[in-house]
Amino acid sequence: MALLDWAKKADFDMIFKRYNVIIEGPAIKPEDDPDVKKVLPKDEPFKSLAMSVIFGDTEKAVQAAKSALDRVSPLDVIEKGLAKGMDAVSALYAKGAYFLPDIMLSADAMTAAMQLAEQKLGRAREKKGTVVSFVAEGDPHDIGKNLVVMFLKANGFEAVDLGRDVPDKDVIEAVKKYKPVMLTGTALMTTTMTAFPRVAKALQEQGIAVPIFGCGGGAVKRDFVESYDMGVYGVKAFHAPKLAEAALAGKSWKDIRKEYPKIVGEFVAEYADRM
Amino acid sequence: MGVRRYTKMAYKEPDDMVFGHAKFPVLEHWNVQFGAGYVVPEVKVAPEAGTERSKDTLVKEMASIAEQAAARAVDIGLPAFMLEQEHVFQQTYHPDWGYACTLAQAEVLKKYYDEYGVRACLRQTVGDLRIEEKGGLRGSEYDNRIAETIEECCKAGASDIAAETMGGKSVLDYGVMRGDIKAILFGIGYLGSVDMEYFWTRAVNICSKYDTRPAGDTNCSGANTCMYVAGGLLGKDMSHTAAALARAISAARSLVAVECGATGPLKDCGYENTIVKAITGVPICQEGKNAVCAHADVMGNLTCQVVDCWSNESVFHREEMGGPTPAVWLQATGYEAALMNTAIQTGNAKTLRDLYTFTDMYRDPQGTLLAYPNAFRVGKAIVEYGKDIYLRARAAALEASKVMMEAYEAKLLQLTRFELDTLRKYTSILESLPMEAEIFVDQCMREYPRKIPTFDPKSYGL
Repeated sequence: MALLDWAKKADFDMIFKRYNVIIEGPAIKPEDDPDVKKVLPKDEPFKSLAMSVIFGDTEKAVQAAKSALDRVSPLDVIEKGLAKGMDAVSALYAKGAYFLPDIMLSADAMTAAMQLAEQKLGRAREKKGTVVSFVAEGDPHDIGKNLVVMFLKANGFEAVDLGRDVPDKDVIEAVKKYKPVMLTGTALMTTTMTAFPRVAKALQEQGIAVPIFGCGGGAVKRDFVESYDMGVYGVKAFHAPKLAEAALAGKSWKDIRKEYPKIVGEFVAEYADRM
Repeated sequence: MGVRRYTKMAYKEPDDMVFGHAKFPVLEHWNVQFGAGYVVPEVKVAPEAGTERSKDTLVKEMASIAEQAAARAVDIGLPAFMLEQEHVFQQTYHPDWGYACTLAQAEVLKKYYDEYGVRACLRQTVGDLRIEEKGGLRGSEYDNRIAETIEECCKAGASDIAAETMGGKSVLDYGVMRGDIKAILFGIGYLGSVDMEYFWTRAVNICSKYDTRPAGDTNCSGANTCMYVAGGLLGKDMSHTAAALARAISAARSLVAVECGATGPLKDCGYENTIVKAITGVPICQEGKNAVCAHADVMGNLTCQVVDCWSNESVFHREEMGGPTPAVWLQATGYEAALMNTAIQTGNAKTLRDLYTFTDMYRDPQGTLLAYPNAFRVGKAIVEYGKDIYLRARAAALEASKVMMEAYEAKLLQLTRFELDTLRKYTSILESLPMEAEIFVDQCMREYPRKIPTFDPKSYGL
């Protein structure tokens, strides 16, 4: 077979380059990463709490939380331990050292441990703010929405998940009920993403102004999302908490559109004209 | 018609497979044949956003897409082509819309056939509207409407019916997001196969009443989700070796449509189709380099290797500098098909096949897996356990793992630490899984229903 002979003779570098292999640095432990060192607590029990989150080990996180709750306040367990671990995980993800499953397992570990802390606290930790998330009517593709919800929760937001194939009227009702700082809509298809401007228009008619973080598969693009009021084109799911924080700080949807790369703190090719 | 499980390969050797030729060619309307010694170009265009607002606007949009494609086919001298229409929600949800849209396109194609003799067939891909947490996959309002729409499309003149069913997706998505290969195997390999049998037994029965072929079903919702999440070489959401394992598993699942009576050509975005063709001998549609308008895959040439119908996947309906997109993208797939047909006519088909394959065979582990000699190996692993939908999916993944490890150890395929670690870890988990489907399902049922709120076991008879 020609393929076998070609494999012996060909110079692959002239055909393709696996840049992911080329740029890969030496293996280092997550705790030795300089960005992790900046946020990792030095003292116990906070270090163990953070490390259990970094390693996405739910069992260890629960044990560490149980043990820590005998010594320190539930709020400190969350803020000085678990949340610092999640900050480290976000840093590792942003630089490509961690991958999506790592971040999900870390979020699971953090959630399990945080529930214990909240039980002791006697109430849920005060959230930064509320965000409502939905998948457009007629669209069953929800992996993007699930990611957005996970990132929001991991970053201390109350994320109200309306599910997939959500009728416009249910979205509008939810916005009126929860008064979110931001609304996120995801869609895969050209003909379902049209829910975003319909929802935006209906909200505007009722005098409600809320940034609508619209994102999705190949069909949803910045020019579309910016073709209607309140729409902010979301490039990556992990940008959602940063945009919600900007909304919480009082930035309008117009400000967020204009300052997107600055708000998310990185180069975003889709917003190159606004860097 | 019952379900006929495959326990033998259609081809004796991988070298017997080449583009434009299938063991069991398919004849469709206006004398378009697939796998009968030539490659047919395909074009697929999504309606412009907003045209779904009424039946009338959508029907006009459909006619316009067909008209623009057919006119360009004549303008550049294409002997034959396929027009595929993937339904938007409304087109499947309202069976009368499905009928009217199909009829509008069929009439345009017939007009061009009558006037110029250009042979064109019409694929209608119904939308899988079903949602597990909204009435389930079986017998819900959405499910019933799909069946009605298939029938209406057949009545209106669809040449074939295809689908991209969603069975097992809730569990698959969980597996993707948490790096859980057992969930990926359960979602695609087991639940996906169970749902395919339900869906395609019915679809085949409906099509058999008309001059409409039941074509097949891609695992777009599963393996393509993995490919999409894995992204390019710098993607950081899923390992490409894991995406390749999911692809191998998906072949065992997509095979079910053929086992239920689907004839091909299998749907274009099924990158697993090379494996299914090796097993069944049915013709396949594929996408790759001329589908960059829709998918950024890492095997743009390789997917031409044994294709029978070459597609652009999907593009917005709009104007490009070269004309409207139905025309532009049919031109792109048409010229590629012409190259393949020239190779066939001049006796160079196998050389061109191997050139296509070699360009991408080691670009990425997904290409390594799907290169036709390796795809053939995965097919053999599937038929060895052909009667058991769980064991054959597991066997496909384990063989895929061997293929990738061998290429890595031979220093042909380069892998990152993440790709290699994932491959080793997932292989070890797959090896440790039980050899009895009942035990595997029991294990999964103890775990996933409580972890995944959208998973509805009743939808799979569990």
